[in-house]
Amino acid sequence: MQVYVNETPVDLMPGMKVRHALIQAGLLKEVESGRCKVWDAWGNEVGLDGALSHGLKIYVK
Amino acid sequence: MNKFRKAIMALFLVSLWGGWAPAWPADLRILYLNDFHGFAEPYQPPGSKEMLGGVSYLAAAADRLRREKPTLFLAAGDMLQGANWANLFQGRSCIELMNAMGFDAMTAGNHAFDYGQQVLKQRISQAKFPVLAANVAGGLPFKPYVVQQVGGVKVGIIGVVTEDTPVATHPKNVAGLKFTRPEDAVRRYLKEVREKSDIVVVLSHLGLEADQALAASVPGIDVIVGGHSHTKLLQPLIVGPTIIVQAWEHAKALGVLDLTVADGKITSFDGRLEEIKPAAGREDRKVQRIVTYYARKVDSRLGKTVGRTEVDLDGRTEQVRSRETNLGDLVADILREKSSADAAIINGGGIRTSIGKGKITIKQVYAVLPFDNYLVAIRLTGRQVKQVLEHGVSSLAEPAGRFPQVSGLSFVYSRSAPVGERVKEVAIGGYPLDPDKEYVIATNDFLAAGGDGYQAFGDAIRAAGDYSDLGGALMSQNLVYNDPGTWLRDLVIDYLNARRKITPKVEGRIKELD
Repeated sequence: MQVYVNETPVDLMPGMKVRHALIQAGLLKEVESGRCKVWDAWGNEVGLDGALSHGLKIYVK
Repeated sequence: MNKFRKAIMALFLVSLWGGWAPAWPADLRILYLNDFHGFAEPYQPPGSKEMLGGVSYLAAAADRLRREKPTLFLAAGDMLQGANWANLFQGRSCIELMNAMGFDAMTAGNHAFDYGQQVLKQRISQAKFPVLAANVAGGLPFKPYVVQQVGGVKVGIIGVVTEDTPVATHPKNVAGLKFTRPEDAVRRYLKEVREKSDIVVVLSHLGLEADQALAASVPGIDVIVGGHSHTKLLQPLIVGPTIIVQAWEHAKALGVLDLTVADGKITSFDGRLEEIKPAAGREDRKVQRIVTYYARKVDSRLGKTVGRTEVDLDGRTEQVRSRETNLGDLVADILREKSSADAAIINGGGIRTSIGKGKITIKQVYAVLPFDNYLVAIRLTGRQVKQVLEHGVSSLAEPAGRFPQVSGLSFVYSRSAPVGERVKEVAIGGYPLDPDKEYVIATNDFLAAGGDGYQAFGDAIRAAGDYSDLGGALMSQNLVYNDPGTWLRDLVIDYLNARRKITPKVEGRIKELD
Protein backbone atom coordinates (compact mmCIF):
# COMPACT_ATOMS: atom_id res chain seq x y z
CA MET A 1 0.00 0.00 0.00
CA GLN A 2 1.06 3.55 -0.51
CA VAL A 3 0.54 6.21 2.14
CA TYR A 4 1.74 9.79 2.40
CA VAL A 5 3.94 11.24 5.09
CA ASN A 6 4.01 15.02 4.92
CA GLU A 7 2.64 14.65 1.36
CA THR A 8 5.55 12.38 0.32
CA PRO A 9 4.49 8.89 -0.83
CA VAL A 10 5.94 5.86 0.94
CA ASP A 11 5.32 2.22 0.02
CA LEU A 12 4.55 -0.26 2.76
CA MET A 13 3.52 -3.86 3.11
CA PRO A 14 0.07 -4.91 4.26
CA GLY A 15 -0.29 -4.76 8.02
CA MET A 16 2.39 -2.12 8.45
CA LYS A 17 1.62 0.76 10.76
CA VAL A 18 2.35 4.43 11.34
CA ARG A 19 5.72 3.46 12.82
CA HIS A 20 6.77 1.78 9.56
CA ALA A 21 5.72 4.78 7.49
CA LEU A 22 7.89 7.01 9.67
CA ILE A 23 10.84 4.61 9.36
CA GLN A 24 10.48 4.78 5.59
CA ALA A 25 10.21 8.55 5.71
CA GLY A 26 13.18 8.85 8.10
CA LEU A 27 11.06 10.64 10.69
CA LEU A 28 10.66 8.08 13.48
CA LYS A 29 13.35 9.62 15.65
CA GLU A 30 11.67 13.02 15.41
CA VAL A 31 8.58 11.52 17.03
CA GLU A 32 10.30 9.21 19.50
CA SER A 33 12.37 12.10 20.78
CA GLY A 34 9.23 14.09 21.50
CA ARG A 35 10.12 16.86 19.04
CA CYS A 36 7.13 16.05 16.83
CA LYS A 37 3.82 14.20 16.91
CA VAL A 38 1.93 12.37 14.21
CA TRP A 39 -1.37 13.77 12.94
CA ASP A 40 -3.95 12.51 10.52
CA ALA A 41 -5.51 14.52 7.69
CA TRP A 42 -8.29 15.71 10.01
CA GLY A 43 -5.92 17.11 12.62
CA ASN A 44 -6.14 14.27 15.13
CA GLU A 45 -3.08 12.85 16.86
CA VAL A 46 -2.45 9.18 16.04
CA GLY A 47 -0.31 6.59 17.80
CA LEU A 48 2.76 4.94 16.30
CA ASP A 49 0.93 1.60 16.22
CA GLY A 50 -2.03 3.05 14.37
CA ALA A 51 -3.20 1.14 11.31
CA LEU A 52 -2.83 2.61 7.84
CA SER A 53 -4.78 2.17 4.65
CA HIS A 54 -3.90 2.80 1.04
CA GLY A 55 -3.83 6.50 0.22
CA LEU A 56 -3.97 7.68 3.85
CA LYS A 57 -2.14 10.91 4.65
CA ILE A 58 -0.32 11.51 7.90
CA TYR A 59 1.75 14.44 8.99
CA VAL A 60 4.73 14.77 11.31
CA LYS A 61 4.95 18.18 12.94
CA MET B 1 -56.35 6.57 41.72
CA ASN B 2 -54.41 3.48 42.76
CA LYS B 3 -55.33 1.79 39.50
CA PHE B 4 -54.19 4.86 37.59
CA ARG B 5 -50.85 4.86 39.40
CA LYS B 6 -50.41 1.16 38.76
CA ALA B 7 -51.12 1.68 35.07
CA ILE B 8 -48.53 4.45 34.88
CA MET B 9 -46.01 2.28 36.72
CA ALA B 10 -46.73 -0.64 34.38
CA LEU B 11 -46.18 1.58 31.35
CA PHE B 12 -42.94 2.82 32.85
CA LEU B 13 -41.68 -0.69 33.54
CA VAL B 14 -42.64 -1.88 30.08
CA SER B 15 -40.70 0.97 28.54
CA LEU B 16 -37.72 0.17 30.75
CA TRP B 17 -37.64 -3.53 30.05
CA GLY B 18 -38.08 -3.61 26.36
CA GLY B 19 -41.58 -2.74 25.33
CA TRP B 20 -41.34 0.68 23.72
CA ALA B 21 -38.91 3.38 22.92
CA PRO B 22 -39.23 6.06 25.54
CA ALA B 23 -41.08 9.05 24.14
CA TRP B 24 -39.52 11.29 26.78
CA PRO B 25 -35.86 12.16 26.68
CA ALA B 26 -33.66 9.46 28.18
CA ASP B 27 -30.01 10.04 29.02
CA LEU B 28 -27.37 7.41 28.57
CA ARG B 29 -23.61 7.33 28.48
CA ILE B 30 -21.29 5.26 26.34
CA LEU B 31 -17.81 4.69 27.73
CA TYR B 32 -15.37 3.29 25.23
CA LEU B 33 -11.85 1.95 24.93
CA ASN B 34 -9.95 0.67 21.90
CA ASP B 35 -6.51 -0.71 21.07
CA PHE B 36 -5.62 -1.44 24.68
CA HIS B 37 -3.05 -4.03 23.51
CA GLY B 38 -2.46 -5.28 27.04
CA PHE B 39 -0.92 -2.02 28.32
CA ALA B 40 -2.18 -2.66 31.83
CA GLU B 41 0.42 -0.64 33.67
CA PRO B 42 1.21 3.05 33.26
CA TYR B 43 4.14 3.71 30.93
CA GLN B 44 6.08 6.58 29.46
CA PRO B 45 5.30 6.70 25.74
CA PRO B 46 8.18 7.61 23.39
CA GLY B 47 8.54 11.36 23.35
CA SER B 48 6.36 11.89 26.42
CA LYS B 49 7.71 13.48 29.59
CA GLU B 50 5.16 11.80 31.84
CA MET B 51 3.66 8.45 32.64
CA LEU B 52 0.30 7.81 31.01
CA GLY B 53 -2.30 5.06 31.14
CA GLY B 54 -2.75 2.41 33.77
CA VAL B 55 -5.91 0.40 33.43
CA SER B 56 -6.70 0.41 37.15
CA TYR B 57 -6.91 4.22 36.99
CA LEU B 58 -9.06 3.95 33.89
CA ALA B 59 -11.34 1.49 35.68
CA ALA B 60 -11.75 3.92 38.59
CA ALA B 61 -12.64 6.71 36.17
CA ALA B 62 -15.12 4.43 34.43
CA ASP B 63 -16.78 3.56 37.74
CA ARG B 64 -17.10 7.23 38.66
CA LEU B 65 -18.65 8.05 35.30
CA ARG B 66 -20.95 5.05 35.43
CA ARG B 67 -22.44 6.21 38.71
CA GLU B 68 -23.62 9.44 37.08
CA LYS B 69 -26.03 7.95 34.54
CA PRO B 70 -27.04 4.70 32.82
CA THR B 71 -23.97 3.52 30.96
CA LEU B 72 -22.71 1.09 28.34
CA PHE B 73 -19.02 0.19 28.40
CA LEU B 74 -17.73 -0.85 24.97
CA ALA B 75 -14.39 -2.10 23.62
CA ALA B 76 -13.59 -1.47 19.97
CA GLY B 77 -11.01 -4.21 19.43
CA ASP B 78 -7.34 -5.12 19.80
CA MET B 79 -7.63 -5.58 23.52
CA LEU B 80 -5.84 -8.94 23.86
CA GLN B 81 -2.43 -8.75 22.18
CA GLY B 82 0.61 -6.50 22.34
CA ALA B 83 2.45 -6.02 25.64
CA ASN B 84 4.04 -8.88 27.58
CA TRP B 85 1.25 -8.52 30.13
CA ALA B 86 -1.12 -9.80 27.45
CA ASN B 87 1.08 -11.95 25.23
CA LEU B 88 2.56 -14.21 27.88
CA PHE B 89 -0.98 -15.34 28.74
CA GLN B 90 -2.33 -15.24 25.19
CA GLY B 91 -4.86 -12.59 26.19
CA ARG B 92 -6.29 -14.48 29.19
CA SER B 93 -5.17 -11.67 31.53
CA CYS B 94 -7.02 -9.11 29.42
CA ILE B 95 -10.29 -11.03 29.43
CA GLU B 96 -10.11 -11.39 33.22
CA LEU B 97 -9.52 -7.66 33.47
CA MET B 98 -12.41 -6.82 31.16
CA ASN B 99 -14.76 -9.12 33.06
CA ALA B 100 -13.86 -7.32 36.27
CA MET B 101 -14.38 -3.93 34.64
CA GLY B 102 -17.88 -4.84 33.48
CA PHE B 103 -17.58 -4.37 29.74
CA ASP B 104 -20.88 -4.78 27.90
CA ALA B 105 -19.54 -5.76 24.47
CA MET B 106 -16.33 -6.01 22.49
CA THR B 107 -15.68 -6.22 18.79
CA ALA B 108 -12.88 -8.44 17.54
CA GLY B 109 -9.78 -6.59 16.41
CA ASN B 110 -7.39 -7.92 13.77
CA HIS B 111 -4.93 -8.88 16.53
CA ALA B 112 -7.58 -11.00 18.28
CA PHE B 113 -6.62 -13.74 15.82
CA ASP B 114 -2.88 -13.67 16.55
CA TYR B 115 -2.94 -16.54 19.03
CA GLY B 116 -4.85 -18.83 16.68
CA GLN B 117 -8.50 -19.77 16.51
CA GLN B 118 -8.44 -22.31 19.33
CA VAL B 119 -7.18 -19.74 21.82
CA LEU B 120 -9.63 -17.15 20.53
CA LYS B 121 -12.50 -19.57 21.07
CA GLN B 122 -11.36 -19.99 24.68
CA ARG B 123 -11.17 -16.25 25.18
CA ILE B 124 -14.67 -15.76 23.77
CA SER B 125 -16.01 -18.44 26.10
CA GLN B 126 -14.25 -16.84 29.08
CA ALA B 127 -15.65 -13.38 28.35
CA LYS B 128 -18.69 -12.37 30.37
CA PHE B 129 -19.65 -10.02 27.53
CA PRO B 130 -20.51 -10.72 23.89
CA VAL B 131 -17.69 -10.66 21.35
CA LEU B 132 -18.94 -9.27 18.05
CA ALA B 133 -17.85 -9.63 14.42
CA ALA B 134 -20.67 -9.43 11.90
CA ASN B 135 -18.32 -9.67 8.92
CA VAL B 136 -16.45 -12.84 9.91
CA ALA B 137 -17.87 -16.19 8.86
CA GLY B 138 -16.39 -19.53 9.84
CA GLY B 139 -15.93 -21.56 12.97
CA LEU B 140 -15.67 -18.88 15.63
CA PRO B 141 -18.55 -18.15 18.03
CA PHE B 142 -18.83 -14.45 17.29
CA LYS B 143 -22.18 -12.74 17.52
CA PRO B 144 -22.98 -10.34 14.68
CA TYR B 145 -24.79 -7.99 17.02
CA VAL B 146 -26.33 -7.65 20.43
CA VAL B 147 -29.10 -5.45 21.80
CA GLN B 148 -28.43 -3.98 25.23
CA GLN B 149 -30.98 -2.12 27.32
CA VAL B 150 -29.70 0.86 29.25
CA GLY B 151 -31.72 3.55 31.00
CA GLY B 152 -34.83 2.53 29.14
CA VAL B 153 -33.09 2.78 25.76
CA LYS B 154 -32.49 -0.28 23.64
CA VAL B 155 -29.08 0.00 22.00
CA GLY B 156 -28.32 -2.29 19.07
CA ILE B 157 -24.60 -2.90 18.71
CA ILE B 158 -23.15 -4.37 15.51
CA GLY B 159 -19.49 -5.39 15.55
CA VAL B 160 -17.16 -5.29 12.52
CA VAL B 161 -13.44 -5.87 12.08
CA THR B 162 -11.11 -4.76 9.31
CA GLU B 163 -11.33 -6.77 6.13
CA ASP B 164 -7.51 -6.59 6.00
CA THR B 165 -7.19 -8.96 8.96
CA PRO B 166 -5.99 -11.90 6.81
CA VAL B 167 -2.90 -9.93 5.79
CA ALA B 168 -2.30 -8.57 9.26
CA THR B 169 -1.76 -11.93 10.92
CA HIS B 170 -0.27 -15.31 10.02
CA PRO B 171 -2.47 -17.08 7.42
CA LYS B 172 -2.89 -20.13 9.67
CA ASN B 173 -4.66 -17.92 12.22
CA VAL B 174 -7.48 -17.16 9.81
CA ALA B 175 -7.65 -20.44 7.89
CA GLY B 176 -11.24 -21.31 7.08
CA LEU B 177 -12.55 -17.87 8.03
CA LYS B 178 -14.11 -15.49 5.55
CA PHE B 179 -13.86 -11.77 6.09
CA THR B 180 -16.49 -9.83 4.17
CA ARG B 181 -16.80 -6.12 3.53
CA PRO B 182 -17.83 -4.38 6.77
CA GLU B 183 -20.32 -2.19 4.87
CA ASP B 184 -22.07 -5.27 3.53
CA ALA B 185 -22.26 -6.85 6.97
CA VAL B 186 -23.65 -3.69 8.56
CA ARG B 187 -26.22 -3.33 5.76
CA ARG B 188 -27.20 -6.98 6.20
CA TYR B 189 -28.00 -6.64 9.90
CA LEU B 190 -29.00 -2.99 10.17
CA LYS B 191 -32.73 -3.39 9.46
CA GLU B 192 -33.04 -6.34 11.84
CA VAL B 193 -31.16 -4.50 14.59
CA ARG B 194 -33.06 -1.28 13.99
CA GLU B 195 -36.36 -3.08 14.47
CA LYS B 196 -35.20 -4.30 17.89
CA SER B 197 -33.49 -1.10 19.01
CA ASP B 198 -33.96 2.58 19.61
CA ILE B 199 -30.50 3.50 18.43
CA VAL B 200 -27.83 1.61 16.51
CA VAL B 201 -24.13 1.63 17.40
CA VAL B 202 -21.49 0.10 15.16
CA LEU B 203 -18.56 -1.12 17.23
CA SER B 204 -15.86 -0.91 14.62
CA HIS B 205 -12.26 -1.98 14.30
CA LEU B 206 -11.78 -0.42 10.87
CA GLY B 207 -9.87 2.82 11.46
CA LEU B 208 -11.15 6.39 11.37
CA GLU B 209 -11.02 6.81 7.60
CA ALA B 210 -13.03 3.64 7.03
CA ASP B 211 -15.46 4.64 9.78
CA GLN B 212 -16.17 7.88 7.94
CA ALA B 213 -16.69 6.00 4.69
CA LEU B 214 -19.01 3.57 6.46
CA ALA B 215 -21.07 6.40 7.93
CA ALA B 216 -21.30 8.09 4.53
CA SER B 217 -22.29 4.94 2.66
CA VAL B 218 -24.66 3.22 5.10
CA PRO B 219 -27.52 5.40 6.34
CA GLY B 220 -29.09 4.57 9.66
CA ILE B 221 -26.05 4.24 11.92
CA ASP B 222 -26.41 6.51 14.93
CA VAL B 223 -22.95 6.07 16.47
CA ILE B 224 -19.69 4.45 15.40
CA VAL B 225 -17.35 3.58 18.26
CA GLY B 226 -14.11 2.92 16.45
CA GLY B 227 -10.55 1.70 16.80
CA HIS B 228 -7.61 0.39 14.74
CA SER B 229 -6.12 3.75 13.70
CA HIS B 230 -5.21 4.63 17.33
CA THR B 231 -6.76 8.06 16.82
CA LYS B 232 -6.92 10.54 19.68
CA LEU B 233 -10.30 11.90 18.69
CA LEU B 234 -10.82 14.61 21.27
CA GLN B 235 -14.33 15.46 20.10
CA PRO B 236 -16.88 13.33 18.24
CA LEU B 237 -16.67 13.54 14.48
CA ILE B 238 -19.96 13.98 12.64
CA VAL B 239 -20.66 12.46 9.23
CA GLY B 240 -24.25 13.14 8.20
CA PRO B 241 -26.36 11.98 11.14
CA THR B 242 -23.67 9.63 12.45
CA ILE B 243 -21.49 10.36 15.48
CA ILE B 244 -17.99 8.82 15.29
CA VAL B 245 -15.74 8.43 18.33
CA GLN B 246 -12.41 6.77 19.12
CA ALA B 247 -10.20 6.80 22.25
CA TRP B 248 -6.52 6.75 21.20
CA GLU B 249 -4.62 3.67 22.46
CA HIS B 250 -3.07 1.71 25.34
CA ALA B 251 -5.59 2.86 27.97
CA LYS B 252 -4.15 6.38 27.80
CA ALA B 253 -7.67 7.74 27.40
CA LEU B 254 -11.22 6.75 28.23
CA GLY B 255 -13.89 7.86 25.79
CA VAL B 256 -17.10 9.39 27.12
CA LEU B 257 -20.14 9.94 24.91
CA ASP B 258 -23.32 11.26 26.51
CA LEU B 259 -26.52 10.86 24.53
CA THR B 260 -30.07 12.01 24.98
CA VAL B 261 -32.55 9.78 23.19
CA ALA B 262 -36.24 10.40 22.54
CA ASP B 263 -38.60 8.61 20.15
CA GLY B 264 -35.80 6.39 18.90
CA LYS B 265 -33.58 9.30 17.95
CA ILE B 266 -30.54 10.98 19.43
CA THR B 267 -31.67 14.50 20.24
CA SER B 268 -28.40 15.72 21.73
CA PHE B 269 -24.93 14.48 22.46
CA ASP B 270 -21.69 15.53 24.10
CA GLY B 271 -18.39 13.68 23.88
CA ARG B 272 -14.87 13.91 25.22
CA LEU B 273 -11.77 11.93 26.10
CA GLU B 274 -10.63 11.65 29.68
CA GLU B 275 -6.85 11.30 29.69
CA ILE B 276 -5.69 8.59 32.06
CA LYS B 277 -2.63 9.11 34.28
CA PRO B 278 -1.46 7.32 37.38
CA ALA B 279 -2.33 9.06 40.64
CA ALA B 280 -1.67 7.56 44.05
CA GLY B 281 -4.80 6.25 45.73
CA ARG B 282 -7.01 6.73 42.67
CA GLU B 283 -6.84 3.22 41.28
CA ASP B 284 -9.60 0.65 41.24
CA ARG B 285 -8.26 -1.83 43.79
CA LYS B 286 -10.01 -4.86 42.36
CA VAL B 287 -8.60 -4.19 38.91
CA GLN B 288 -5.19 -3.32 40.34
CA ARG B 289 -5.06 -6.72 42.04
CA ILE B 290 -5.51 -8.37 38.63
CA VAL B 291 -2.86 -6.13 37.09
CA THR B 292 -0.41 -6.91 39.87
CA TYR B 293 -1.18 -10.63 39.85
CA TYR B 294 -0.34 -10.97 36.17
CA ALA B 295 2.60 -8.54 36.38
CA ARG B 296 4.14 -10.86 38.97
CA LYS B 297 3.43 -13.81 36.73
CA VAL B 298 5.19 -11.95 33.90
CA ASP B 299 8.27 -11.59 36.10
CA SER B 300 8.07 -15.26 36.99
CA ARG B 301 7.63 -16.33 33.36
CA LEU B 302 10.55 -14.17 32.26
CA GLY B 303 12.76 -16.12 34.62
CA LYS B 304 11.76 -19.43 33.06
CA THR B 305 14.55 -21.41 31.38
CA VAL B 306 13.79 -22.19 27.73
CA GLY B 307 17.06 -23.78 26.69
CA ARG B 308 20.76 -24.04 27.22
CA THR B 309 23.74 -22.83 25.22
CA GLU B 310 27.03 -24.68 25.32
CA VAL B 311 28.87 -21.54 24.18
CA ASP B 312 28.69 -17.80 24.81
CA LEU B 313 26.25 -16.16 22.38
CA ASP B 314 27.94 -13.03 21.10
CA GLY B 315 25.63 -10.03 20.83
CA ARG B 316 28.16 -7.37 21.81
CA THR B 317 27.34 -4.11 20.04
CA GLU B 318 30.71 -3.63 18.37
CA GLN B 319 30.72 -7.26 17.21
CA VAL B 320 27.22 -7.69 15.73
CA ARG B 321 27.65 -4.35 13.97
CA SER B 322 30.95 -5.20 12.33
CA ARG B 323 31.25 -8.96 11.74
CA GLU B 324 29.48 -12.29 11.77
CA THR B 325 28.70 -13.55 15.27
CA ASN B 326 27.22 -16.84 16.42
CA LEU B 327 24.19 -15.05 17.93
CA GLY B 328 23.63 -13.22 14.65
CA ASP B 329 23.82 -16.56 12.84
CA LEU B 330 21.37 -18.14 15.28
CA VAL B 331 18.71 -15.44 14.96
CA ALA B 332 19.06 -15.33 11.17
CA ASP B 333 18.85 -19.14 11.01
CA ILE B 334 15.61 -19.12 13.00
CA LEU B 335 14.05 -16.55 10.67
CA ARG B 336 15.09 -18.47 7.57
CA GLU B 337 13.85 -21.77 8.96
CA LYS B 338 10.52 -20.40 10.16
CA SER B 339 9.72 -18.80 6.81
CA SER B 340 11.28 -21.56 4.66
CA ALA B 341 13.22 -18.82 2.89
CA ASP B 342 16.32 -19.34 0.77
CA ALA B 343 18.28 -16.99 2.99
CA ALA B 344 17.88 -14.47 5.80
CA ILE B 345 19.41 -11.03 6.19
CA ILE B 346 18.92 -9.03 9.39
CA ASN B 347 20.55 -5.94 10.84
CA GLY B 348 23.18 -6.44 13.51
CA GLY B 349 21.73 -3.42 15.30
CA GLY B 350 18.60 -5.42 16.08
CA ILE B 351 20.61 -7.64 18.44
CA ARG B 352 21.13 -5.77 21.67
CA THR B 353 23.12 -7.95 24.04
CA SER B 354 24.88 -11.28 24.60
CA ILE B 355 23.89 -14.43 26.45
CA GLY B 356 26.53 -16.26 28.43
CA LYS B 357 27.14 -20.00 28.28
CA GLY B 358 24.59 -21.94 30.34
CA LYS B 359 20.85 -21.77 30.73
CA ILE B 360 18.84 -19.29 28.67
CA THR B 361 15.83 -17.56 30.22
CA ILE B 362 12.97 -15.83 28.44
CA LYS B 363 14.17 -12.57 29.97
CA GLN B 364 17.57 -12.98 28.30
CA VAL B 365 15.97 -13.57 24.91
CA TYR B 366 13.80 -10.50 25.40
CA ALA B 367 16.92 -8.47 26.21
CA VAL B 368 18.61 -9.67 23.02
CA LEU B 369 15.56 -8.79 20.89
CA PRO B 370 13.68 -6.07 22.80
CA PHE B 371 11.99 -4.49 19.80
CA ASP B 372 8.51 -5.46 18.64
CA ASN B 373 9.76 -6.67 15.28
CA TYR B 374 8.21 -9.45 13.25
CA LEU B 375 9.22 -11.80 10.46
CA VAL B 376 8.65 -11.08 6.80
CA ALA B 377 10.03 -12.85 3.75
CA ILE B 378 10.28 -11.10 0.42
CA ARG B 379 11.10 -12.29 -3.05
CA LEU B 380 14.20 -10.48 -4.32
CA THR B 381 16.26 -10.91 -7.45
CA GLY B 382 19.90 -11.86 -7.04
CA ARG B 383 20.73 -8.34 -8.11
CA GLN B 384 18.62 -6.93 -5.27
CA VAL B 385 20.20 -9.34 -2.78
CA LYS B 386 23.58 -7.92 -3.70
CA GLN B 387 22.21 -4.39 -3.27
CA VAL B 388 21.04 -5.31 0.21
CA LEU B 389 24.46 -6.66 1.13
CA GLU B 390 26.22 -3.65 -0.40
CA HIS B 391 24.11 -1.41 1.78
CA GLY B 392 24.88 -3.59 4.79
CA VAL B 393 28.63 -2.99 4.40
CA SER B 394 28.40 0.60 3.17
CA SER B 395 29.29 2.14 6.52
CA LEU B 396 32.34 0.42 7.95
CA ALA B 397 34.32 3.30 9.44
CA GLU B 398 32.73 2.44 12.74
CA PRO B 399 30.28 -0.30 13.82
CA ALA B 400 26.85 0.41 12.30
CA GLY B 401 23.43 -1.09 13.00
CA ARG B 402 22.96 -1.84 9.31
CA PHE B 403 25.80 -4.39 9.27
CA PRO B 404 24.14 -7.67 8.22
CA GLN B 405 23.89 -11.00 9.97
CA VAL B 406 22.95 -13.72 7.51
CA SER B 407 21.72 -17.26 7.09
CA GLY B 408 21.66 -19.49 4.01
CA LEU B 409 24.10 -17.23 2.25
CA SER B 410 27.73 -16.29 2.42
CA PHE B 411 29.61 -13.33 1.04
CA VAL B 412 33.03 -11.76 0.86
CA TYR B 413 33.55 -8.02 1.00
CA SER B 414 36.39 -5.58 0.66
CA ARG B 415 36.58 -2.76 3.18
CA SER B 416 38.87 -0.72 0.95
CA ALA B 417 36.64 -0.87 -2.14
CA PRO B 418 34.29 2.04 -2.89
CA VAL B 419 30.80 2.00 -1.39
CA GLY B 420 28.52 0.00 -3.68
CA GLU B 421 31.38 -2.18 -4.96
CA ARG B 422 32.48 -3.85 -1.76
CA VAL B 423 30.64 -7.16 -2.06
CA LYS B 424 32.76 -9.49 -4.16
CA GLU B 425 31.35 -12.99 -3.90
CA VAL B 426 27.90 -14.10 -2.83
CA ALA B 427 26.56 -17.63 -2.58
CA ILE B 428 23.07 -18.76 -1.64
CA GLY B 429 22.55 -22.37 -0.71
CA GLY B 430 26.14 -23.01 -1.70
CA TYR B 431 25.70 -21.75 -5.28
CA PRO B 432 26.94 -18.46 -6.72
CA LEU B 433 24.34 -15.74 -6.72
CA ASP B 434 22.48 -15.44 -10.03
CA PRO B 435 21.59 -11.75 -10.54
CA ASP B 436 18.46 -12.63 -12.50
CA LYS B 437 17.18 -15.45 -10.35
CA GLU B 438 14.55 -14.81 -7.66
CA TYR B 439 15.28 -15.74 -4.05
CA VAL B 440 13.06 -15.63 -0.99
CA ILE B 441 14.83 -13.60 1.68
CA ALA B 442 13.66 -13.54 5.28
CA THR B 443 14.16 -10.36 7.27
CA ASN B 444 12.37 -8.26 9.87
CA ASP B 445 9.70 -5.62 9.36
CA PHE B 446 12.12 -2.85 10.34
CA LEU B 447 14.39 -3.50 7.36
CA ALA B 448 11.41 -4.24 5.12
CA ALA B 449 10.09 -0.77 5.93
CA GLY B 450 13.41 0.81 4.98
CA GLY B 451 14.98 0.91 8.43
CA ASP B 452 18.74 1.47 8.67
CA GLY B 453 18.49 2.78 5.12
CA TYR B 454 17.65 -0.57 3.47
CA GLN B 455 15.61 0.15 0.35
CA ALA B 456 15.72 -3.05 -1.71
CA PHE B 457 12.98 -4.85 0.22
CA GLY B 458 10.53 -2.00 -0.31
CA ASP B 459 11.60 -1.74 -3.94
CA ALA B 460 10.76 -5.41 -4.46
CA ILE B 461 7.28 -4.96 -3.01
CA ARG B 462 6.73 -1.83 -5.08
CA ALA B 463 7.94 -3.60 -8.22
CA ALA B 464 5.27 -6.27 -7.78
CA GLY B 465 2.67 -3.62 -8.55
CA ASP B 466 -0.84 -3.92 -7.21
CA TYR B 467 -1.60 -6.43 -4.54
CA SER B 468 -3.43 -9.50 -5.74
CA ASP B 469 -6.55 -10.88 -4.08
CA LEU B 470 -5.71 -14.34 -2.79
CA GLY B 471 -8.83 -15.85 -1.27
CA GLY B 472 -10.01 -12.54 0.06
CA ALA B 473 -6.60 -11.51 1.38
CA LEU B 474 -4.66 -8.80 -0.37
CA MET B 475 -1.08 -9.97 -0.77
CA SER B 476 1.77 -8.63 -2.80
CA GLN B 477 3.18 -11.21 -5.14
CA ASN B 478 6.64 -10.55 -3.73
CA LEU B 479 5.59 -10.77 -0.09
CA VAL B 480 5.97 -14.44 0.71
CA TYR B 481 5.67 -14.47 4.50
CA ASN B 482 4.18 -11.87 6.81
CA ASP B 483 3.29 -12.42 10.46
CA PRO B 484 2.78 -9.07 12.20
CA GLY B 485 1.26 -10.77 15.23
CA THR B 486 4.33 -12.70 16.41
CA TRP B 487 7.45 -10.98 17.66
CA LEU B 488 10.88 -12.30 16.64
CA ARG B 489 11.84 -12.93 20.26
CA ASP B 490 8.91 -15.32 20.59
CA LEU B 491 10.09 -17.24 17.52
CA VAL B 492 13.49 -17.59 19.18
CA ILE B 493 11.86 -18.83 22.38
CA ASP B 494 9.83 -21.40 20.41
CA TYR B 495 13.03 -22.54 18.70
CA LEU B 496 14.90 -22.90 21.99
CA ASN B 497 11.99 -24.71 23.60
CA ALA B 498 12.08 -27.21 20.76
CA ARG B 499 15.88 -27.67 20.69
CA ARG B 500 16.67 -27.24 24.40
CA LYS B 501 20.45 -27.27 23.76
CA ILE B 502 22.32 -25.21 21.16
CA THR B 503 25.96 -24.77 20.16
CA PRO B 504 26.05 -22.12 17.43
CA LYS B 505 29.43 -21.14 16.09
CA VAL B 506 30.74 -18.63 13.58
CA GLU B 507 30.78 -20.43 10.25
CA GLY B 508 32.56 -18.01 7.97
CA ARG B 509 29.38 -16.72 6.33
CA ILE B 510 30.80 -13.20 6.17
CA LYS B 511 34.46 -12.76 5.24
CA GLU B 512 36.51 -9.63 4.86
CA LEU B 513 38.99 -9.68 2.00
CA ASP B 514 41.69 -7.32 3.21
